[in-house]
Amino acid sequence: MQPYEDSFVLRGVRLRNDPARESCFTVAHVHSEMFLSDDSSPESQRDKLHREYNQEVLSLEIAAQTLLEFPDAPWELRLELARQCWDEGRHAALRMQRLRELGGHKGEFPILVQEWNVVCMIDSLLGRLTIQNRVFEAGSLDAMRVAIDWWRSIGDERTAAQMEVILADEVRHVAFANDWVKRLVALNPRGVMAIAAAMNHLAQVNSALAPRPGEVSVEGEPIFDLKRNIPPNMEDRQHAGFTSAEVDAVLRQETVEKGTKA
Amino acid sequence: MNMTVRDRAETIASLRHIHVRLMETLAAWVPTTPEMEVKLLFGTHIWDMAQHADAFGKRVYELRMPLQYSQKPSEAYSEVLSELAAAKETSRRVAAFYEVVVPALTARFHRYIEQTDSLMDAPSVRILDRALADHARMLREYQEVVQELSIGAEHDWVKQMKAAESAIESFVVHQPSTAAAAAAQV
Repeated sequence: MQPYEDSFVLRGVRLRNDPARESCFTVAHVHSEMFLSDDSSPESQRDKLHREYNQEVLSLEIAAQTLLEFPDAPWELRLELARQCWDEGRHAALRMQRLRELGGHKGEFPILVQEWNVVCMIDSLLGRLTIQNRVFEAGSLDAMRVAIDWWRSIGDERTAAQMEVILADEVRHVAFANDWVKRLVALNPRGVMAIAAAMNHLAQVNSALAPRPGEVSVEGEPIFDLKRNIPPNMEDRQHAGFTSAEVDAVLRQETVEKGTKA
Repeated sequence: MNMTVRDRAETIASLRHIHVRLMETLAAWVPTTPEMEVKLLFGTHIWDMAQHADAFGKRVYELRMPLQYSQKPSEAYSEVLSELAAAKETSRRVAAFYEVVVPALTARFHRYIEQTDSLMDAPSVRILDRALADHARMLREYQEVVQELSIGAEHDWVKQMKAAESAIESFVVHQPSTAAAAAAQV
């Protein structure tokens, strides 16, 4: 992994410098600088929407930066990234619209920009597609399915309906990465080394930035070893082009995690 | 004006180059612009520039050049694009893109449509007509954001950039036939 000049070191790992943000935002790099928002209070609802708004903006920024930094990528792949920029921008606008309807505003809560810091440190296109689209965005397919049910359970059909639309778009973002990772590796089998390097980078970052014993959220809630039960969204993962073997592996991992908890 | 197939191909290939460059400029601005509404506006228009570049890239193939072939525009036009890309402040970025470059492209598209034969070159005209509708929408979207944020335009700088752009009669660098033939082999 070549260090980019515009980078910094946090807890021993090198990360890409933050994207630009307005002064109304408090930018966080670790979870202890964030709210936990683990209930259904109005404040917690707004925090969730504010986080998701920021998440969509980060996805837009990562897609744009990848489009910029890999000018030799196949044109059809660049088109996919350009389309993703539009999608993520619309998603962010939807989240902000709903946040305002619920009385919230830009900068109301801290925002975590870790995803940008981590992904944009990866210097290969295959690595970026793997970590951003096949790991993070595929993980969001799981989380969004749970979140849609949660918003419905508290009677907020409007937010749930918006998220259904967003989820459909996110499936496409995972699908094009699945498709292109396979095509690029078929063209150059040494590309698997770039994927391995990116996975290694992610593992190091996860280990360094994960909440530590005794760490608490902004409101003072313990966050170390906090496990949220997010079952894999098998239907959308299959629709996004994960193979049966990959889907089975996700299921096996979930079974192991449940067993560990029990 | 009588335009040959080669003239049309070189113009459309130059437009492709310009639109890829504009797509990349907006992509560079997305993470480096702090105002969220402007960031989202740029993100939306990355897709517009990409779609236009793609349509031009398909059209050049129909005009006997390689699929998605780009031709570098004139030095003077390249300088305008470089000056645009170098803008740092949000006010300059939005003014340069939405008050200079997009309206100037709109004018150039209209001129091309006037000059070409609307039947012989109907596929190019169709692409430009659609892009013109997109330009109008992009400028409406820009106006909405500017009104919300009240970003001040930098009139002198914008004026200079407009003057530099409008002084360029054509951005197309017509190549000798052998050079074009060789390029078409790439």
